[in-house]
Amino acid sequence: MLHTHNNILERETKREKHNISINDHNDILIEVLQRLDGRSLAAAACVCKKWCSIVRNDALWEHLCFRQLSVPPSVGVRSVVLALGGYRRLYLMCVRPVVSRLKKRRSNGGHTEVVRRLWNRNEVELSLSLFCVEYYERLLLGDGGAVGGGESAAKSLRFLCKTVNV
Amino acid sequence: MKRDYPNQNHTLFPGSSSSTPPLLPDLTGKSKMWDEFNEQDTGVDELLAVLGYKVKSSDMVDVAQKIEHLEGVLSNDDGLSQMASDSIHQNPSDLSSWLESMICELNPVVQVQLPGSGSIAGSLVGTSTSPGSAGIDDLQAIPGDAIYPPTKKQKSLSEDNGNKTYSPNPIVIIDSQENGIRLVHTLMACAEAVQQDDMKRAETLVKQAGYLAVSQAGAMRKVATYFAEALARRIYRLYPKSPQDAPAFRDLLQMHFYETCPYLKFAHFTANQAILEAFAGKKKVHVIDFSMKQGMQWPALMQALALRPGGPPTFRLTGIGPPSGDNTDHLQEVGWKLAQLADTIHVEFQYRGFLAESLSDLEPAMLELREDEVVAVNSVFEMHELLARPGAVEKVLSAVKEMKPEILTVVEQEANHNGPVFLERFTESLHYYSTLFDSLESSGGGGGGSVESGGVAAASNQDKIMSEVYLGKQICNVVACEGPDRVERHETLAQWKTRFDSAGFQPVHLGSNAYKQASMLLALFAGGDGYRVEENDGCLMLGWHTRSLITTSAWKLR
Repeated sequence: MLHTHNNILERETKREKHNISINDHNDILIEVLQRLDGRSLAAAACVCKKWCSIVRNDALWEHLCFRQLSVPPSVGVRSVVLALGGYRRLYLMCVRPVVSRLKKRRSNGGHTEVVRRLWNRNEVELSLSLFCVEYYERLLLGDGGAVGGGESAAKSLRFLCKTVNV
Repeated sequence: MKRDYPNQNHTLFPGSSSSTPPLLPDLTGKSKMWDEFNEQDTGVDELLAVLGYKVKSSDMVDVAQKIEHLEGVLSNDDGLSQMASDSIHQNPSDLSSWLESMICELNPVVQVQLPGSGSIAGSLVGTSTSPGSAGIDDLQAIPGDAIYPPTKKQKSLSEDNGNKTYSPNPIVIIDSQENGIRLVHTLMACAEAVQQDDMKRAETLVKQAGYLAVSQAGAMRKVATYFAEALARRIYRLYPKSPQDAPAFRDLLQMHFYETCPYLKFAHFTANQAILEAFAGKKKVHVIDFSMKQGMQWPALMQALALRPGGPPTFRLTGIGPPSGDNTDHLQEVGWKLAQLADTIHVEFQYRGFLAESLSDLEPAMLELREDEVVAVNSVFEMHELLARPGAVEKVLSAVKEMKPEILTVVEQEANHNGPVFLERFTESLHYYSTLFDSLESSGGGGGGSVESGGVAAASNQDKIMSEVYLGKQICNVVACEGPDRVERHETLAQWKTRFDSAGFQPVHLGSNAYKQASMLLALFAGGDGYRVEENDGCLMLGWHTRSLITTSAWKLR
C-alpha cells in the first residue's frame, strides 16, 4: 500500500514539483484525521467539501469514540450504535459531554491529572445507555417521522451540555 | 444621629449576621433620651454597654426574645413608624424595661408574657380581645409552643445561655432573614392548630403564611406556597377529588420530573443494574413492571441486554398501569414504541399490557408465566400507594411470591409520611420537600450552565415548573387528604425492610457496578456536587447533601 503511494508521489513530484495535494490521497487524509480530537475534526469538516464528506464518515467517529479505550468494545456494539443513529451522533450527543463533564469534576476534585486520560469502559457504557434512552424518547415524541434525522437531542439529554453540531 | 450596630452583635443574634440589623437603631436614633450613659455596670453585658445599653448578662435571653417579638409585631403594622417617632419612651439604656414599655404601648390591652426558658403552652391562647380583626391581635394569640418552642430556639438564643440549639433535621431556609424563620414557624403553628382542630386559628395562620411566602424567594417560596395551599384545602375541606388527574397528565408531569433531576434516572439505572445481574446467563427473561408509565426504564436495559457477552436473551415485558379513562390504550402504544426500539437493536421482544386500577387487583394467573423463563418484578414509586388500603400490600406481595421472581426491585421515597399523627407527617414532609425543591433549584432546570441557546433555557424552565407541579401534587396529597384518598404514604427503608422480611423476602445487595454507574450519572448533572449516593446495607440511597431522598433496594425469595 505504502509503496504505491510512494510511487505515485514520486511520479507526481517529477511532474509537478510544487503540486502535492493531500486531497488526492484519501487514505492518508483519513489516517491523519483519525488522530484528531473531536473539536479538530469538526473544524476539519469546514475546510472544503471533500473534507466535509470524509469527516462525516461514521468510521472516523467510531475510531474517535473508542480509540482511547483500554479494551476495545465488543462486536455487537457497532450494529447497535449504527441502528441508534451512528457514531458521530453518539459522540456529539453523549460521549463528548459525558467525558468532559466527568473530567471537569475530577480536576475540580483536586486531582491534578490534566493529562489526557483513558476513557474507561464505564463512561462509554453510560454514554451508550443515555444514547439509547434518547433514541427511545425521539420515538415517543417524533412518532415515526424523522427518527434518525433531527440534529438536536431529545429532552432527556438536555442535562448535558448543549453541543455545537457539525 | 444614628448609631451603627456593630457587627459583633453575635451575642444577641448568633446566626443572622447577614440579615439587616433590627429596627432598634432607627427608632432609638430619633429619641432624645439617647445620650444617657449609665455607668453603673454590675454584671452588664460589655458590648451593649459600649452602645449605651445596660443589659444584665442574665437578662440577655429575655431581651433577645423581646426584641424579636417586637420586631415581629412592628413589621406587621404599617402605621407604626409614625407612632414611633412621636412617642417618648422610658430610659432606653435599660433595654429590658424599655422594650417592655414599647410592647405594652403597642398593645395596651394584651399583656404579653414572654417565656424565660419554659414554654407558654396555652397561656396566650384566648387573650386576644377583638376577635374579628386580623393582624397584631391575632398574632398575639399564637401559642408559644409553635413560635417559641422550648427545644427549638434557634438564632435568637444568646450564647452565654448555654442551651444547645436542637435541630434534628435542619429545615432548609434559603435566605437567613427573619421572615424565612417566621414563615416556617407559622406553617408549623398552623399545622398544630389543625391537629388540635382549632380551625379559626388555623385559618388566620394559613393566611399569614401566604403573605410571608410571597416575601420569600426561590425554593422556600414554592415549598411554602404548596404547603400553605394544602393546609388551606384541609382547613376549608376543599379536598382534591380523587382520582385527581388523568393518568396521561400524571405521566406527563413525571416525564418532566425525569428530565429535570436525576432521581428517576437514578432509580431506573440502579434497578436495571440489579435486574441485569439477576439475568446473567439466562436465555429467556420476563420483566413485570408495576410502574409502566412511558416505559423510560426499559430502553437502557434492552441496550445492556443487547450488548451483553453471549448476546441478548428473549425479552418479554409485561406492563401494568391504570386505565387512562379516555379510551386510548396508552399502555399498548408504549409497547409498540418499545417494540420498535427492540427491533432496531435486534432484541427479541414480546409485550403485554395490563390495565388495573390498583396493583392488588392483579392475579398471577393472568400473566401467563412460562416455566422456562426468569422473572423480575419492578416497582418504582408504586408500593407506597398500596398502604392506603389495609391488606393491599400483603396481597400484592403474596402475588409477587407466586410469580417466583428471580429478583424484585423496589424504589421508594426515603421518608416517613405515613405516621398516625398529622403534625408529625406535616413536619416530616416539610423537611423532605424543602430538600427536594432545594435540589431542583440548583439543578437549574437541567441546563448545565454552559452552552445553551435561548430555546433550551425556556424548555428547561418549563420542565422545572412542571416538576414542581408534580411534587406539589404529592404535597397536597400528603397534607390535605385522608383515608383511602391519601395515597402518598411514603415509608422509610427500615419500615419496608420489615414488611418484605415478614412477607418472606430477603435482601439482595446491589453491588459496586450499580454504585459506580449511579455516581457517574450524578456527576453529569449540574449541581452534581450536591447529590450523594450512599450505600446502606446493600441498598443504594440518593440524597441531597446530608438528606437521603430515595432508596433503591432489591429482594429475592427466601
